[in-house]
Amino acid sequence: MLEIQSVNVYYGEFQALFGISLSVSEGETVITVGPNGAGKSTLLKTISGLLHPRSGSITFMGNRIARVPAHEIVELGITHVPEGGRLFPQLSVYENLRVGSYLKRARGEAAATLKEIYRLFPILDERKKQLADTLSGGERQMLAIARCLMSRPKLILLDEPSSGLAPRVVSRVLDFVHQIKSQGYSILMVEQNVRKALKLSDRAYLMESGRVHKEGTKQSFLDDPYIKKAYIGL
Amino acid sequence: MRTPLILIILFAAIGLFPVFFPSPYLIHIGTLIFIWSFITTAWSYMGRFGLVSLGHGAFLGLGAYTSGLLFNFYGLSPWIGMILGGVVAVLFAMLIGYACFRFGVIGDYFALVTLALGEVVALTIIAFRDITGGSLGFTLKSKGTSLLYFQSEHKIHFYYISVAFLILALLVWKWIDRSKMQKALRAIGEDEIAASTLGVGIIRYKMIITSISAFMTAIGAVLYAQYITYLNPHTLSGVPPSLEIAFKAILGGMFSLWGATVGTALIVSLEEYFRVAYGSTFVGFSQIIYGLALVLLIIFLPKGIYGSVQELAKKKRA
Amino acid sequence: MLDLYLNAALNGILLGGVLALLAFGMNLIFGVIKIIHMAYGQCVMLGLYFIYTLVTHLGFPILLACIATVPLMGVVGFGLQALVINPLLRAKANPLTQLLALAGLTIVLENLAQVIWGADLRGINVQLPIISIGNVFLRTSNLIAFFGALLTLGGLYLFLNRTYMGLAIRSIAQDLDSARLMGINPQAIYYLTMAAGGLLTALIAAFFTPIYAVHPHFGGSFTMMAFIIVVLGGMGNLLGGFIGAFIIGIVTSVSAAMTSTEIADIVALVIFIAVILVRPQGLLGIRVAK
Repeated sequence: MLEIQSVNVYYGEFQALFGISLSVSEGETVITVGPNGAGKSTLLKTISGLLHPRSGSITFMGNRIARVPAHEIVELGITHVPEGGRLFPQLSVYENLRVGSYLKRARGEAAATLKEIYRLFPILDERKKQLADTLSGGERQMLAIARCLMSRPKLILLDEPSSGLAPRVVSRVLDFVHQIKSQGYSILMVEQNVRKALKLSDRAYLMESGRVHKEGTKQSFLDDPYIKKAYIGL
Repeated sequence: MRTPLILIILFAAIGLFPVFFPSPYLIHIGTLIFIWSFITTAWSYMGRFGLVSLGHGAFLGLGAYTSGLLFNFYGLSPWIGMILGGVVAVLFAMLIGYACFRFGVIGDYFALVTLALGEVVALTIIAFRDITGGSLGFTLKSKGTSLLYFQSEHKIHFYYISVAFLILALLVWKWIDRSKMQKALRAIGEDEIAASTLGVGIIRYKMIITSISAFMTAIGAVLYAQYITYLNPHTLSGVPPSLEIAFKAILGGMFSLWGATVGTALIVSLEEYFRVAYGSTFVGFSQIIYGLALVLLIIFLPKGIYGSVQELAKKKRA
Repeated sequence: MLDLYLNAALNGILLGGVLALLAFGMNLIFGVIKIIHMAYGQCVMLGLYFIYTLVTHLGFPILLACIATVPLMGVVGFGLQALVINPLLRAKANPLTQLLALAGLTIVLENLAQVIWGADLRGINVQLPIISIGNVFLRTSNLIAFFGALLTLGGLYLFLNRTYMGLAIRSIAQDLDSARLMGINPQAIYYLTMAAGGLLTALIAAFFTPIYAVHPHFGGSFTMMAFIIVVLGGMGNLLGGFIGAFIIGIVTSVSAAMTSTEIADIVALVIFIAVILVRPQGLLGIRVAK
C-alpha cells in the first residue's frame, strides 16, 4: 500500500534522512523505533507531505506522492497524528473532531462517524464542549487519534503517541491503537516505548541517525539481542 | 588610489555645473536633491543598522518649526535656531528611543511606533494653528539676502550650501564607519539577542545613533525651510514625508554611503520628469511608479533587501 | 456641557460599530495570513470611490452601487493576495519587510486615486434625518452604520463558528501545519480571507458613504485608526478588536468634543504607543516572543 524508496530529506543544508526505504501493506501495523534524532518524525512528515524529499519516491496505492502538497495527501487517505497531537487549542473537542471531517468525502458521513467516535471514546462525548487546551495529556492524545479517524483514512501515521504520558495512560492509549488496528486500519507508528509498541505490531524497522538499520517481523525484533539490550532493556 | 580622483571629478562637476548650465530650474532641482540627500543620509545612519524609522517626519517638523517660529516671532537667527531645533529633535528622540529600546521594541513594532510619532508631531503642529498656521503652514519673514538670517534671493547660494551640508552628512557617515560604535551596531543589527549576551551596551549605542540621526535630520529640515521660506506640516512632518525618506534610502540602498543620495536623485528626477512631461493632470504618477518599483523591489529580492545586500557584501569581502 | 459629552459618547459608540468591522477585517487577515494589512484603510477608500463613480458617472442608484461594490472589492482583495501577499509569503519576508511592502502599496493606491479621481473631495449628497431623543442628537447615517455593522459582525460570527469554511479559517489561524493535515488547502483559505476582507471594506465604505466625502488621503487616518484598535485589543484577537473599537470610538469622540479632532487623534496615537511599549500583546492578546 505504501512504498518508500531511497528517500533523501534535507532541512536546508542538513541531511536528515539517507536513502530510506520502507513499506506498509494493507491492514498491517508497522512500527519504527530508534533513538531521538533518528529521523523518525521527519519520516512521517515526509510521507504526509509537510516535508518533501530531495530525491527518492513515495508511492501510495499506486499514486506517486513525493511532491504532492500535504492537504492533497490527506485526500488520498493518509492521516498523520503529529507528536503531541497538535490539536487546535482554541477549538472545542467537538470542533476539533469536526475539522477532522473537513474532507469532502468525509463530510457526508461526519455525523455517523462522530457517533461511532463517541461510542469508542465516551470521555470525548463528555468533554465535547471543552476547549482542547483544557484536556489532560492522555485525553488529548485520544482526541488527536479520534480526530484523524474522522477523515475515514486508509493509512494512519502515529508519531510517538505515548510521548509525555504516564505509564498507566500510555497503556490506555496503546489499547486504543490496538482497537483501531483490529478495525482493519493500516498503521505506521513511530514509538520510543519499544516493548509496548512491538506488542501491537506486525513488522518493525529500526532507524538510527537517519538510516534504516534493521527490518523484520515482530518476532525477529523481539528475539534480537541488540534490540533487547539497547531498546527493551532486558 | 582611484577613489579620491573620482570624488574630485564628481565634486568639480557639481561645483562647476551651475557655471556651465546656469538654468535656475536645474539649479533648483539640484539643490532639492542635495537637501533631501542630506536628510535621507541622516536617516540611513539608523536604517543601516536595522533601526528602520517610519517617523523621521517628527524630526523634520521639530527642527523646522522650532527654528522657523523662533525666527518669525523673536527674530532669532536660523543658524542658532537650527542648533536649537536639532537639540529639540534629539531630546524627543532620546525620550522615545529610550522607551523603545528599554522595552525591547524592535523591527516592525519599532517602525510602527515611529510612524505614530511622526503623525503625533504633525497633528500637534496642526492643532496649534494659531501659532503655526495649521494645515496652511506659514511663511518666513523676508530678510532679503542675509547670511545672518540664512536667506538669499539668489538660489545659487543655497545650491552650494546644500552641497556643503551633504558633504558633512557623508563625512559623518564615514566617521561612524570608523568608530567603535559601528562594530557594535552591526552586531546588534544582525542578531540583537546574541549581541546583548556579549554585553554590548545595546541601549547606549542605539541612543547615540538615533540622536545623531535626529539632529542631522532636524537641521536638514531647517535648511529646506530656509530655502523655500515656507513651512507646511504636510511636507515637513507626518506620515508622507517620513515614508518618502525611508523609501528613498531603501531604493538607493541604505547600507552604502551614496545609497541615500542615489535613491533621492532617482526619485526627485522621476517626479520632475513626470511633472514636466505630463503636467499637473498626472500629479502622483511618478509616485505610483516609484511605489510599484518599491513594492517589487521589496518582494522580489529573494531574501528581502537586507539579506540580499548583506549577501552581496559578504561575497565581496570573501 | 454634559449633553455635549453625552452626544459625543453616543456618536462615538455608533462610530465604534464600524470601527469594529474595520478591526475585524484587519484581525482576520493578521490571524490567518499573519500579515499586517497596512493598506486596509486605502481599500475602504477605494470602495468609497467605486460607489461614488457608480453613482455619479454611471447613474446607479446609491443602494445598488453599494451592493455592486461588494463583489468588486472582493476581487480587489483576491488580486492583492495574488499580486502582493503571495509573493511576500513565498519570499519568506520578515515582518518589517512585509510592513514596508504594504506601506509602498498605500502610496501606490493613494496616488492611483489621485490620478484617477483627482485631489478634490468626492462625495455623494445623501440627506438623512437627525433623530433627537431629549437633548441628544443622533444621525440616522450613524445609526444605520452601527446596526449594519453589528448585523454584519453577527453574520461573520455565525460564519466562523457554524460553517466548515469558518472552521477551516480558524484552524489555519491556530496551527497551519495541523490544518494542512486535516486536508485544508492554505492557499484557498488565504484567498478566501483576503476576499472576505475586501467584502468587508466594501460594506464599511457603504456605511461611510452618507457620512464622509472621500479624498486620496482618506485611507491613511483609517488605517492608522484600525491599527490602533487592533493593537489595543490584541493583534489577531477578534473579540479584542471589537472591544478596542468601542473604546477608541468613545475616547476619540469625547476628546474631539472636549478639545479638537487633532488632539483626539493624538490621544489615540498616544494610547497606541503606550500599548506597544508597555503591553504589546494588547488587552486580550497572547504574548508572542519577539
